[in-house]
Amino acid sequence: MSAVGAFLSRGGRHGAMFAARLAPGPRRALGLLAVWFVIAFAGPLLAPHAPGEIVDRDVFAGVSLHHWLGTDYLGRDLGSRLLWGVRYTVLICTLSTLLSCCCGIVLGIAATATSVWVERVLGRLMDGLLSIPSLLFALLVIAAAGESIPALILTMGVIYMPGSYRTSRALALRIARADYVTAALARGEGRAFVILREILPNMTGPLLSDIGLRFVYAVLLLSNLSFLGLGVQPPLVDLGSLVRENVLGLAYGAPAVVVPTLVLALLTVGINLALDGRRP
Amino acid sequence: MTRSLGPLILGRLAASAFSLAFVVVTIFAITAALPGDVADTLLGQSATPEAAASLRHAMALDQPAWLRFWHWAGDMLHADPGRSLLTGRPVAELVGPRLYNSLLLAGATAAVSVPLSLALGLACTMARGTVFDRAATVLMLGTVSVPVFLIATVAVFVFAVQFHLAPALADINAVHSPLQFVRVFLMPVATLSGATTAQMSRMIRACMIDVFSAPWIEMAVLKGVPPVRIVLFHALPNAIGPVVNAIALSLSSLLGGVVVVETVFSYPGMAGLMVDSVAARDVPVVQCCALIFCMVYLALTTLADVVAVASAPRGRDR
Amino acid sequence: MRCRDGGVLTMGAGALSPHCPVSRRAALGLGLGGTAAILAGPRAAAQGAGVPRRGGHLRLAGLAGSTADTLDPARMSVANDFVRGKSFYDGLVALDDAMVPHPALAERLDTDDFQTWHITLRRGVTFHDGGPLTASDVVYSLSRHKDPAVASQQRIAAQQMRDIRATGPLTVEIGLVGPNVDFPAILGMDNFAVIRDGTRNFSSANGTGPFICTGFQPGIRTTGRRNPDYWGAAAWLDTIDLIAISDDMSRHDALLSGDVDIIGSANPRLVRLLRTRGFGIMESPVGTYTDLAVRLDQVPGNNADFVTGIKYLVDREQVRDSVFLGFARIGNDHPIPPEDPYFAADLPQRAYDPDRARFHLKRSGMSGKDLAFFCSPAALASVDIAVLLQYAAQRAGMDVGIRRMPVDGYWSQYWMKMPMSFGNTNARPSADMAFTLSFSSQASMNESRWRDPRFDALLLQARGERDDTVRRRIYHDMQAMVRDGSGVCIPAFTTSLDAFAPQVRGLRPNRAGQLMGYGFTRSVWLDDGGTHR
Repeated sequence: MSAVGAFLSRGGRHGAMFAARLAPGPRRALGLLAVWFVIAFAGPLLAPHAPGEIVDRDVFAGVSLHHWLGTDYLGRDLGSRLLWGVRYTVLICTLSTLLSCCCGIVLGIAATATSVWVERVLGRLMDGLLSIPSLLFALLVIAAAGESIPALILTMGVIYMPGSYRTSRALALRIARADYVTAALARGEGRAFVILREILPNMTGPLLSDIGLRFVYAVLLLSNLSFLGLGVQPPLVDLGSLVRENVLGLAYGAPAVVVPTLVLALLTVGINLALDGRRP
Repeated sequence: MTRSLGPLILGRLAASAFSLAFVVVTIFAITAALPGDVADTLLGQSATPEAAASLRHAMALDQPAWLRFWHWAGDMLHADPGRSLLTGRPVAELVGPRLYNSLLLAGATAAVSVPLSLALGLACTMARGTVFDRAATVLMLGTVSVPVFLIATVAVFVFAVQFHLAPALADINAVHSPLQFVRVFLMPVATLSGATTAQMSRMIRACMIDVFSAPWIEMAVLKGVPPVRIVLFHALPNAIGPVVNAIALSLSSLLGGVVVVETVFSYPGMAGLMVDSVAARDVPVVQCCALIFCMVYLALTTLADVVAVASAPRGRDR
Repeated sequence: MRCRDGGVLTMGAGALSPHCPVSRRAALGLGLGGTAAILAGPRAAAQGAGVPRRGGHLRLAGLAGSTADTLDPARMSVANDFVRGKSFYDGLVALDDAMVPHPALAERLDTDDFQTWHITLRRGVTFHDGGPLTASDVVYSLSRHKDPAVASQQRIAAQQMRDIRATGPLTVEIGLVGPNVDFPAILGMDNFAVIRDGTRNFSSANGTGPFICTGFQPGIRTTGRRNPDYWGAAAWLDTIDLIAISDDMSRHDALLSGDVDIIGSANPRLVRLLRTRGFGIMESPVGTYTDLAVRLDQVPGNNADFVTGIKYLVDREQVRDSVFLGFARIGNDHPIPPEDPYFAADLPQRAYDPDRARFHLKRSGMSGKDLAFFCSPAALASVDIAVLLQYAAQRAGMDVGIRRMPVDGYWSQYWMKMPMSFGNTNARPSADMAFTLSFSSQASMNESRWRDPRFDALLLQARGERDDTVRRRIYHDMQAMVRDGSGVCIPAFTTSLDAFAPQVRGLRPNRAGQLMGYGFTRSVWLDDGGTHR
């Protein structure tokens, strides 16, 4: 959802500074993320069924001894699909977040460290990118590039880049005005040295929490993309698509729609709360 | 103050033109790279290569992409968005009513969510660290973490199907009185406001707490000024810049970012038009939609900056 | 009805007279009479009960609608387009519930040789703007399909009509490129509806149909009111209101909440919910099928073992039960559905056989590497069928990928272009059309690039064959040839589902498609005059 992206982009500008003061926050969030990584890696290995295997004639079946979380709209084992879903959501969101943050940070620092014109042009380009609603942008790009995991990662990376750019530029600007940077420049240190030794290390804390937030929004965007039918190729699945494909089960209160939603909420709320410095 | 606002607005306009041009070129480049074109859409399954080629020729689609862009840009400079490739009707005629619908929905959502999120954001700031603050935070995060399509679908199923409290469709033609307006818009606005309010109030809270750590606020607290007074008269004026910015950003996405709500409630708005037009490869309509989204975004952010500068007690801190 | 009279075939309004003892079927062998009764389920029978009453406002929500919605008969392609077309326009010929042609705007069709057709138009028919129907309108309506700029869906079928000319104010002569016994069925296709001579603007509809268009906003809604001067049996409803809701759950919610009275493309997964809440379900066994086409002129389809292996991999029962939840009839890899009078019932049913599949796939020497099933939501249920097939292939020792493609661009970019792609074919008005459009050597929609001169010769022979028994035998052989020779795999024919509120009456199943072959507005009525719960 593009509102989400917008929130992130501007929210980072001010929210990051706030979060920076809560050093345990990012650390706890990273710890939580590590847990999800373990699930993403090990989960599918433990899945009792293949993601495309039809195990039951009964669709939207409830919880049973054979199928702990019931079956989906085709009669496949939901538990197995859920494990695969976690893997792809975590994988895609992590990579796209890293991509957007790397680009954003590099450009953000470049904007502060080089000429005013670079900053102006970059600023306008980012405004342009931000102004295109994220869902529509993703729809366009994926339609052009074809539906694949790399295309998804790239698209989501581009969508969240402006936000990351704004955060890191704001941070870099603030730090560049600090006394120790002025001092280093006065000492005659090179620009690269100042960036690597003075500016970057001091940005790490706030940036980490920004990255965490961005990951959460990537998860949400990915799940909303499934509404437009975009996601990983079948029979594999991501969490959002898992909710979307089983949405008719709502009429029967099927676990196929309830459980993936809960897992999605657990993932995002948990990391968000951890970032806020509260116990998840 | 007015002296510094003039150049700011002028500069913003010039910069906006640049952003607009960037968006237009980007969108055109992507649409040109999309597989298939309007001729394929029109023919569907009967699109044999020769049928498609002759239709393409009849529609002047066999011109090179840059030439089509050139014609389009020339017309656009004369404020003529051209004609839809698909229907042959003027783009303005297609977009006009949809834009009106979208602005209506966005306006109604803004009217609900802005006051609500200001109130919630401020309340959370005042009640920092209390059970209320925590509960509100978890609730907001929970709201944002559930995909919008699910919230909308659940809302319709519960309120329209089970209890018949509201219609399942947002049928704008059925609106003839204020009461009907409320009935029709209740669910789409509630769904959109849920997500928007959650985001906005979280951001407002963050901005306010940022200001709260300032020494002069601590001073006021020590002096025994009542918390409500501190929030409203000490902190809020200083946080207006970021708060308005946050609101502007949330609102700008209400036009193009609501494709889910438009689809679920069958509400004919801009986002749905753009999705349709992308699918049909109706490039002039796609361009016009993108242009409008971009202009609204730029207008709102500029407005927010102007408000921030005009209201900032100590000028623009950048 | 038509009857043969001294070698001259006549299909005219007078056909219902007792002077014509030869049944339609015997004369032309076009279809079964009274199929409606065969098709109708118990609920459908209940639907017909009661005395029709005039009046009321009916709201329909169809599946597909977008800015591509059209009122141009030539361009109509999605269900809602056809519903609009059937409400506002008429064809020269109308197909009944069993897809048997009957005269409509044409009073009679005469031919000596099945190649030159003389059409006499009904007298006194007026367009909605008051103008009278004349031969020039018919000539314009039919000829325009050949103009590429019109972007007609039926350009290929139209090319059969070599010349179309007016021979009098109410008579038209059509010369075909070759004899075709089934030509009336072609004229009965909705795309060949008659419009006013010279019409170019389709922002509203000027037809002769039972409803007059009162509003048309593409992608939003269409409204109409009953045509008081309709030449045929007047419609029961006062006004109609058509919208499209593409989101499955929302469409059903709109019906359940009473916002609309009837929906097309009901989802099999929600049938249970709808029934428990007292809503009706109309099952129409249509000839629509989703198929996998393996191109025979490319790797891997140029290997006969590979194609045979894939055909044995399809678990048709599973496709019917898990994908369509039973709302489908099993297919036998040829395009003639079981309800068709020419269906070859004695042809052995191909079944899921993992051992044979494994054997053939192994012998083909192909590995699954770089192979993929191309599917898309554009082809109904193809993604789900691909998932089933992929798992079966994996079990048979071959890892094939799935490429799900977006709806837009699928037909032009991937379908029939890729070595293995899923297609979706609508019910054809006749066996001849089904074979001609998708399996003859020159057919542009020959999905698997299967070419068999013997098949083409049989097709031509059947087209000009007047003896129904001989035709039946030819079509039987052709089904066997398609089944064994082509690279097309047809696992099932879909059963189209419509769901409706209890007050909607008069709905009957129709072989041409959902919503009574899209023409339900002509015959349904509202039991309580349109007031709702």
